Amino acid sequence: MLLNSVIIILREVLEAALLISVLLVLSQSLDKSFRWVAWALLAGMIGATVYGVNIDTISDWFDGVGQEVVNALLQVCIFTLIAVLMVLLPRQLYARESGRSLALVMIITVALVLTREGAEVMIYLYGFLRGSDQLLSVMLGAGIGGSIGVSAGVLFYYLLRNRSKRRTVGISIVVLMLVGSGMASQAAQLLIQADWLPSQLPLWDSSGWISETSVTGQLLYALVGYEATPTAIQAGFHFGGLLLLVIVFLVCQWRYRAATRLAVNT
Amino acid sequence: MANRATVRPRFFLFVCGMLSSSILLAGAPVFEIEIRNHLFIPSEFTIPANTKVKLVVYNRDPTPEEFESYELNREKVIVGNRKAIIFIGPLPAGEYPFFGEFYPETAQGKVIAE
Repeated sequence: MLLNSVIIILREVLEAALLISVLLVLSQSLDKSFRWVAWALLAGMIGATVYGVNIDTISDWFDGVGQEVVNALLQVCIFTLIAVLMVLLPRQLYARESGRSLALVMIITVALVLTREGAEVMIYLYGFLRGSDQLLSVMLGAGIGGSIGVSAGVLFYYLLRNRSKRRTVGISIVVLMLVGSGMASQAAQLLIQADWLPSQLPLWDSSGWISETSVTGQLLYALVGYEATPTAIQAGFHFGGLLLLVIVFLVCQWRYRAATRLAVNT
Repeated sequence: MANRATVRPRFFLFVCGMLSSSILLAGAPVFEIEIRNHLFIPSEFTIPANTKVKLVVYNRDPTPEEFESYELNREKVIVGNRKAIIFIGPLPAGEYPFFGEFYPETAQGKVIAE
């Protein structure tokens, strides 16, 4: 039970920790304060509690696929917010604005990620809280899993930050794009599971190459939403989402760079 | 305004189309399994290959469980004493293990598509 709870909590914490790390690196590179993280954690915990407590009711929505639909909606919102970041980041890089909107978008993004991941952790732990002799080992496991997840986030933070500012920002933005497209892919998968999107035979099977159960597979899942046997629709959402984020970023970057040059010349 | 008025019915028709198609698809064969004492019952069942099926999982335990399968690309929390509907497939012939993420020592099962 101990090892199992380590793995469950680690899986949930890892996804949020990696995203928070990337956003912190970007904040740091743009000389912004880290204060937004506290608000994001608070909002995320409230969100997770509301979701976790109401999971019963939510599951019954839409003829029993409420969980899939709500989760897909959360993923789509996170994807959209990351797209907004692709607009805001170039503006920050070239124009150096106050960054209040940037902090707000980061808060909502992280809060939504925590709502989803946190609710699952709550439901899992709550099952043992109601009088189980395994409570102690489960809580211990949860503590260990959570710590490993947070450590991985810290490690990732220094890994990203430990290079020139230009490269740090560049790599962070690419990672953010990959995280965002993973969200789009997961949203599609959930809607297929709910039968809201048509189901298809898998497009390919890369499980022999990178298994989803392996450490690499798990890390790739947490970071970019890796799936060994995606259907065409899911892969379409994944790559379409990535393309959209890349285009939004490049267009905004080009516009702000041109605007800055114009301002300097005149 | 005129523009909006013409778009609305079209959207309505689109929604109707989506709904009717999902009613038609509701004809997917239904398979029911149970979770009891953190075990899937039956732990193995056979579904037709290349066909979408509707899986209903009844959780007879008071504790929550999460139906999870990497091979099926499925993941869903099932609260204690409730049921969950999960659409799976179409699947190429083969074996697809699934497990209860919260109690994986005992909650193990397998879908066989043939």
